[in-house]
Amino acid sequence: MVHQRRWLVWWPFAFALIPLALTLAIVFTLLRASDLQDFGWSFWGLDVSNYGILVYVTGSFLTAVPALLFAMVIGLGIAIASTTYLPRFLAAVLDPVVDLLAGIPSIVYGIWGYFIVAPFFGKNVFTWTAIHLAWIPGFKPTHDSSLPLIATGDGLALAIIILTLMILPITTLLMRDALQAVPRDLWESGLALGATRWEVTRRVAVPHAKRGVWGAAFLGFGRAIGETVAVFMVIDQASKLPTNVYDGTSTMASLIIGSIDSAMELNPSGVTELHFLCELAIVLLLITLAVNVAGRWMIRRTYTEVAGL
Amino acid sequence: MSAIPAAPSDVVVAVQDLTVTAAAKTLIDHLSLDFHARSLTAVVGPSGCGKTTFVRTLNRMTELTRGLNVEGAVRYLGQNIYDPSVNPVVVRRRMGMVFQRPTVFPMSIFENAAFGLRIVGAPEEEVDAAVTEALQRAGLWEEVKEELDRPALSLSGGQQQRLCIARALAVRPRVLLLDEPTSALDPAATQRVEATLQGLKEEIVLVLVTHNVGQAARISDRIAFLHSGKLVEVGPTADILERPRVKLTEQFITGRYA
Repeated sequence: MVHQRRWLVWWPFAFALIPLALTLAIVFTLLRASDLQDFGWSFWGLDVSNYGILVYVTGSFLTAVPALLFAMVIGLGIAIASTTYLPRFLAAVLDPVVDLLAGIPSIVYGIWGYFIVAPFFGKNVFTWTAIHLAWIPGFKPTHDSSLPLIATGDGLALAIIILTLMILPITTLLMRDALQAVPRDLWESGLALGATRWEVTRRVAVPHAKRGVWGAAFLGFGRAIGETVAVFMVIDQASKLPTNVYDGTSTMASLIIGSIDSAMELNPSGVTELHFLCELAIVLLLITLAVNVAGRWMIRRTYTEVAGL
Repeated sequence: MSAIPAAPSDVVVAVQDLTVTAAAKTLIDHLSLDFHARSLTAVVGPSGCGKTTFVRTLNRMTELTRGLNVEGAVRYLGQNIYDPSVNPVVVRRRMGMVFQRPTVFPMSIFENAAFGLRIVGAPEEEVDAAVTEALQRAGLWEEVKEELDRPALSLSGGQQQRLCIARALAVRPRVLLLDEPTSALDPAATQRVEATLQGLKEEIVLVLVTHNVGQAARISDRIAFLHSGKLVEVGPTADILERPRVKLTEQFITGRYA
């Protein structure tokens, strides 16, 4: 009887500690696996032959940041349309589609991106931009002769497009839920002052939904920077900085999945490679943790700012 | 216009044979009622009697609810606001509205009061002067004048509700519609809001929806008693309270309404 009671008292703590234990276990075992071999000066550098990570870190941010910007702008547009402007029956069709999109496995995006979107964009969009928008920094091809290569479509630009599409559902649905949570009488107060729907959306509803907007941004960024398979399939994997938007490069995540095979196999330097990939994983983990913490802080600050608490 | 007899000069809003239906249900049933300048009319009645629906027809807020059908006329200074040529945005700027819950916006105290002016692009000096005046008229100025940049949500509930009144006043409406404005407030805050309203009735037309007969007795000049969407009785507050002509009114004001 006594034993049973003690068990009843302690089990919630045991369960509650699982996430903490898991986080610590991942960090600790990865650190051990990496043997802390490379965390020197060259590790933070651009020299990939000397196990520098800066190319991959840059690649990750070069894909995740633009994808996040696009997904936030388009997502906010969809969220406002669905909550404010669309007739109810249309919103009732659109909203579940967005939720459905959020659940598509990334390998599906990868295959689709590689076999269908890449040749389409390569031929119809990137070839055109390479000729007509060459004046924009980054849109000029390295050589005029590289047009056939651009026509294949894979590279940094395609990775950004696919990433945008992948995180768009999550940013959209988080912002949509935040806008739906704006109280009806707050809306009516704005309209009762003679404001139009757009003015109330812009000045009242979106500021009221600010926490949801920040939440969408941080969650979307976390997904974008950690996305692996789909990016690997469309980025035209190369261990170098891209010289333009059509060029191939690597993100931290895509490098890990792309090198895991060679690192595991015969390759005499394989041990070093494995260490390096573990280290890269730790860096990726720390970046996502930092983003998470920053997001929480930002959301709390927004709350203070709005409510003055 | 010519077919309708000219309204007495102090009638600001004239409701004529108003009927509001939703699907098969009649919410307001052939209701006619005038609202005069410099008066506070309390619209009272049991829950579900249609008083909120009624007040929302006065500035076309009913249009924001799907499936409501409005017939009859609401004349603002002679003009039927349900005329197809009338822009509801203009109507709402002439007839301000305050809701049951304080509905301050997520912005500073100053910007809340300035909201209605900002959306029409009023020049800065004008906004400054109008905000100060509106906050004074709403009886909030002394409490907030040092901290106009603070978030409005940091105010107490009663202060928030007076800020909502100030926000509505800042665009200089002729009519202020109040839908149970103290139902979410404690007695002290209620008393402050009531004092504010009493000060305002010298300047504009006030229509106060309330389920609280005591509140109507304290501050209204006239009481209109609604029941099942019909106007049962309307008259000077003292008359309605002391000599109701209809049994139903008497039952309601004496709290014996079942």
